[in-house]
Amino acid sequence: MSRPRQILAMGGGGFSMEAGNVLLDEHALGLTSVDCPRVCFLPTASGDADHYIVRFYRAFAAGRCQPSHVSLFRRDGGAADLAGHLLQQDLVYVGGGSVISLLGTWSAHGIDRMLRAAWEAGVVMTGLSAGSLCWFEQGMTAFHGESKPVAGMGFLPFTNAVHYEDKPERRAAFLSAIADGLPAGYGTGDGAALHFVGTELAEVVTSRPNARAYHVAPDGAEVKETELSTRYLGAPLAVEPALAA
Amino acid sequence: MGGGGFTAGPDDPALDEHVLALTGVPRPRVCLLPTAGGDSEAQIRRFYETYPDRLCEPSHVSLFRLGHRPIPLREHLLAQDAIYVGGGSMVNLLAIWRAQGLDEILHEAWRGGVVLAGLSAGSMCWFEWGVTTSSGHPAPAPGLGFLPGSNSVHHDSEPARRPVYRDAVRGGSIPPGWAVDDGAALCFRGTGLAEVVTARARAGAYAVDAAGEHALEPRALERPDARTATIPAVAELRSLRAARAGGLRD
Repeated sequence: MSRPRQILAMGGGGFSMEAGNVLLDEHALGLTSVDCPRVCFLPTASGDADHYIVRFYRAFAAGRCQPSHVSLFRRDGGAADLAGHLLQQDLVYVGGGSVISLLGTWSAHGIDRMLRAAWEAGVVMTGLSAGSLCWFEQGMTAFHGESKPVAGMGFLPFTNAVHYEDKPERRAAFLSAIADGLPAGYGTGDGAALHFVGTELAEVVTSRPNARAYHVAPDGAEVKETELSTRYLGAPLAVEPALAA
Repeated sequence: MGGGGFTAGPDDPALDEHVLALTGVPRPRVCLLPTAGGDSEAQIRRFYETYPDRLCEPSHVSLFRLGHRPIPLREHLLAQDAIYVGGGSMVNLLAIWRAQGLDEILHEAWRGGVVLAGLSAGSMCWFEWGVTTSSGHPAPAPGLGFLPGSNSVHHDSEPARRPVYRDAVRGGSIPPGWAVDDGAALCFRGTGLAEVVTARARAGAYAVDAAGEHALEPRALERPDARTATIPAVAELRSLRAARAGGLRD
């Protein structure tokens, strides 16, 4: 049975950013179609921060899934066969942090090639922020000050900007980069996630009723930003915006 | 440094002190690059404990946290008197530095007279080759090549590195170089080895070539004991060392 290639690219959300809101993380687990999926966390973009790894194991407790992590800063003691370990997963979850450090480190360890093989074999890929940008042809990073495009691994032939609505300067920088010739792509707000099957956008899911995502494309000399329809993953009555406000 | 110094734990104050003295500046600016340890909080905390404000102007650059703490990298690093590179994964260190252009900035800093120091991965990175355990087992890995030759660290405390280093040099896959114990350090002036200094009895360094290991004559550093000695004495010692080391900046 062959599994489709899937990527769930979060603008910002999940256990890293939405304590107590399990909607996006549960959705990622659900995409595996496995009862107790094997989930491997890659905290590389944070420098394998201990507190982040602990939070992952709290959010992805054994019982609900079979969690593991790969630390590239402390490889002694970890899985010796990284490629094999990644291929055996149902879900690979990439944490946030510095996308430049992330991709540099991955490339030095050959993780980019291993992830591509795992993705092609049907292992679901997910992540937020740097862990979302990395899957695209190019991503907008503002990690080092000014927002600028950086090359990702190119599994998805689009561009991507995260924390899109929450950091207005990123939106402005993305729009102006597209106007200057950056290829078309997506602006993804916190609480929104792009679900790709193969390289096609299947749907946009959200962990917050008001989270948004946009398709951004050049339109003549202008830039066209199109709001995408979203599906809120929570029960419609559970979080009434009126009550929350 | 082959190991030791503040990031190793029990601390070798004489090595940490020597880094400051090499700058030839009374109250040097010292910047920690904790990249190889993934910007570990523990390493950063120990750095500030070791290098308090009264001895120097300490700072650190966390490449993983620039998002929260933006800093003009080049300007900041070029303005230092010493740059101290912490231990960890040599492969990750170099990959991240290259991705962020730190390799070029550090070369510029070194050419400009900034003292470059570090231990373990932070030592091997300056050479053409090192012996890293970044992938779990010891294996040769290329460095920045500011210094010609190769370097292997923790020579006494991690014996598994020894045969890997010796065989690689003997087989010619990496150039000859130096193996260094914990608590010992190689001091290069330009690209020439000026001296071997040690902070621990029995710590040493070895020149390694195809013929084998040759012990080098070390100079034992005086333990500064800054916490118990009177401060003027320490200041005097430091200014003496600073004067002696002044010629290193060219």
